[in-house]
Amino acid sequence: MNDRDLQNVIHHATTDSGETSGEQPFAARLEHALADEQMHAALERFAPAWRASRAAVFSAEEADYGPDYSFAVLRSQLRQAKDYAIAHQPELLAQFKAQAQAAGAIIFEARTVEEANEYIYRLCRDKGIDLVVKSKTMVSEETELNHYLEARGIKPVETDLGEWVAQLDHERPSHMVMPIIHKTRQQVGATLSQATGREISRDDIAEQVAVIRTEHRQSFLNAGMGISGANALIAESGTVMMVTNEGNGRMVTSLPRVHVVMAGYEKLIGTFAEAMTQLRLLARSATAQPITSYTTFITGPSAPNHEMHIVLLDNGRSEMRADPRFHEALRCIRCAACANICPPYQQVGGHAFGYIYSGAIGLVVTPFHHGIAAGAGPQSLCVSCNACETVCPVEIPLPSLILDVRRRTMDAKGLPWIKKLVFGTMARPRIFDLFARLASIGQIPLSRGSAYIRAHNFGLLNRLPIMSFLAQQAGWRSLPAFAARPLRDRVKTRAPGDDVEKPLTVAYFAGCMTDRLYPEMGEAVIKVLEACGIQVTYPQAQNCCGLIALNSGDRRDAAAMARQTVAMLERALQASGADYIVSATTSCVASITQDYLKLFEDLHQYDWLRRAQALAEKVIDFTHFMDKVLVDSIHPTTTIPLWNAAALSGAVVTYHDSCQSNNCLHLQPEARRIIQDTLGLELREMPQSDVCCGFGGSTSLEHPEVSRRLLDNKLANAASTGATLIVADNPGCLMHLRGGVDAQGKQVRVLHLAQLMAECLP
Amino acid sequence: MTESLFAQFQRRLSALGGEVINVDDVAQAAELIAERARQGDGSVVVPPAPLTSNDLSPWQLVIPPLRDKGITIRESAGAASIADAPIGLSGAELAIAETGSVMLAENALEARVVSMLTLTHIVLIPESAIVPMLDDAGARLQALTRTGPGQRHYISFITGSSRTSDIERVLTIGVQGPKALCVIVVKG
Repeated sequence: MNDRDLQNVIHHATTDSGETSGEQPFAARLEHALADEQMHAALERFAPAWRASRAAVFSAEEADYGPDYSFAVLRSQLRQAKDYAIAHQPELLAQFKAQAQAAGAIIFEARTVEEANEYIYRLCRDKGIDLVVKSKTMVSEETELNHYLEARGIKPVETDLGEWVAQLDHERPSHMVMPIIHKTRQQVGATLSQATGREISRDDIAEQVAVIRTEHRQSFLNAGMGISGANALIAESGTVMMVTNEGNGRMVTSLPRVHVVMAGYEKLIGTFAEAMTQLRLLARSATAQPITSYTTFITGPSAPNHEMHIVLLDNGRSEMRADPRFHEALRCIRCAACANICPPYQQVGGHAFGYIYSGAIGLVVTPFHHGIAAGAGPQSLCVSCNACETVCPVEIPLPSLILDVRRRTMDAKGLPWIKKLVFGTMARPRIFDLFARLASIGQIPLSRGSAYIRAHNFGLLNRLPIMSFLAQQAGWRSLPAFAARPLRDRVKTRAPGDDVEKPLTVAYFAGCMTDRLYPEMGEAVIKVLEACGIQVTYPQAQNCCGLIALNSGDRRDAAAMARQTVAMLERALQASGADYIVSATTSCVASITQDYLKLFEDLHQYDWLRRAQALAEKVIDFTHFMDKVLVDSIHPTTTIPLWNAAALSGAVVTYHDSCQSNNCLHLQPEARRIIQDTLGLELREMPQSDVCCGFGGSTSLEHPEVSRRLLDNKLANAASTGATLIVADNPGCLMHLRGGVDAQGKQVRVLHLAQLMAECLP
Repeated sequence: MTESLFAQFQRRLSALGGEVINVDDVAQAAELIAERARQGDGSVVVPPAPLTSNDLSPWQLVIPPLRDKGITIRESAGAASIADAPIGLSGAELAIAETGSVMLAENALEARVVSMLTLTHIVLIPESAIVPMLDDAGARLQALTRTGPGQRHYISFITGSSRTSDIERVLTIGVQGPKALCVIVVKG
């Protein structure tokens, strides 16, 4: 088996065929995307600009109208409105239909894409319509309406500029809101020139935009049918709400005699008041505009001899609605914020990061609308950074739904054998221990006694299948070597204290990475805690928390490790009388305090759920804990060390916000307080400090190109500050960053926050 | 929020490239509009006269003075008749300070195309038509869409001119709809 095969083995299950007509297979789309430098550059420019603009446009609303108009409050309101609509869909649907019909609209409920397409085709056929103008509707992409009509001799013309250009190029939009973000003006000019038969500027965008005004004017006037989408279906009045910027939407829905609206059932919302909340959130989330140029409310046909048909599409939505987890995804208002903020999306664009619906929501809904095979490839690109969840205006738990999709995909296709082997081993603590110890010896030819497995050390081993795969991986970031003495061996020799007054006691959960790869980080944690007068115990029975298995869709091994961890920590608490369980691995903390709860609930293991909930109260990450100890003295026996940063004089620190720390545990100011206020060091913020470093668990092995680009961005951002130290509080990130620094020969130290603090102890 | 509704409205719409002008009376409005019309082809397109005219809105009151100033008033007879006319003039149901939007709610297609197909769309409203928040507009939407003889089938919030950033995210103003929006607010 060659190394390419091994690469495929890791996600072989996800790149199988089974994808439907009219679309290249995922692997081909991904390869094409990775080779598209213009798209990559465009997306890289867009992402930070959008983040900044979005933050500004939400702040402006809050500044003008107060905290009730903050993003947090607005999205909670809209979430409630959509939750109500989903729960009461039958009643709201009945109300919408009655009202719309009273206003003269005709409603057609389509269970499948075929029914929707056929209904629209029949309207055209029966009325002698051969020209249809369309304004943006993702539902028509979902049903592939254009192909259906064209095959039957009817010409659909997209009138949104981006959709039209994509149509001319026989492509799908690559983004729900910015359909041709992947194209340059040169490409657009060439496309327009060919379409119009005139020479259109390759450079003057204003001239290019002017083309659409003239080209489509006659179509609007001549077309027998206009097809539009809906941003909301307002039940109380039977009204279709539509937001647009270009002005074509109003023409499509006014000028032709027959107007057809295509909408999914999830667009239902109860009242105008709730629709106004949606308006406050929609454009801000999509394009960072406060509102679009046109917001239109259509209730029945709007001219005497006109018709209005509303085609409502199911295509898997009722299956979602019936699902205890996935019904939450029906809240989606199709803003595409989850695509805009997604780091891997930024690297590959919407054609690869999705099937028809793209972005995080695309990964979630594709199995329901287009089948599990269609979503299998795209879902493998998610690094579980949780950024999407932080910007979703209806609080959809996208990261966990994507992991559910991953698990269902693995269940359907089978987990790759190598993952089964690795996770199965990790779930057996004694075997894992044995493997790690053997590896620390067996790796010596590759590590040569250093902390790294470097590409150039492979030598002739490069010829062997698995070795060449690892060598390739190590080429862009050196891989970590197993420590000769893991942390668990190093702490055995600690003697318990014999203090008269019981000190604050913690049980230290190191996590498998710290234990096996970076025991020196663990030693630093213990040293810092003890310097604050805290007694540290180390439960020897600790193993992996199971996150890596959970994030790969292997729920069985993850659950085994979760149960082991919960039971072990309970025993440790009892045996040591510890007040807290502290971990300096924020991904483990997020896993134990958040993921375990969902895991046990999904498995209906309610006793374990109860135990995990009780345990979660005691588990705290090192950064939060140190902030509590140092800022609010939480226990009479803790002391503040006399920090001395002399050894680091002249050092400049920059801080990487790991995804779990920032997005799951809501850490941000704490580490900075410690670095600047407590230790007195100079901190310079790197651009995009809270964007994923690219590690993403096994994603760095499965999609090395994507992982590498994110790593390169992160290291470049860090370097731009001139910092001599990169600090973070998650070993996964630190491993990735260190590997990149080593392979690229950069002169910068990468430290855990605990190590930085340890270097400043007196 | 101590800022007046007019000031908020002006700030929000100006930030999006819309022009907002305060005038004392209809006569001043007429002068402004006539000036713009003369820069074009000396004509202004307006919606057809409503069937029932009880209280005349400012946009209707301004028509005789415009005629006096020699401006040609063309009543819209539908899309083809007025497409790409330089100036379109209409009123609005209300304006929203929070967003800088004007709400138009004409059922007649001939009226609607004035705000869709002309190159510059001028909206003439009394200051009293400005409401504070989207919620207020939502209440009006509720009333206007109620089943019955007065039901409005087609209502739009217009906030600035037509625009796109589809090509390389470069903003272009004026796509299919008007290239410019000007809201004249008459005191009172």
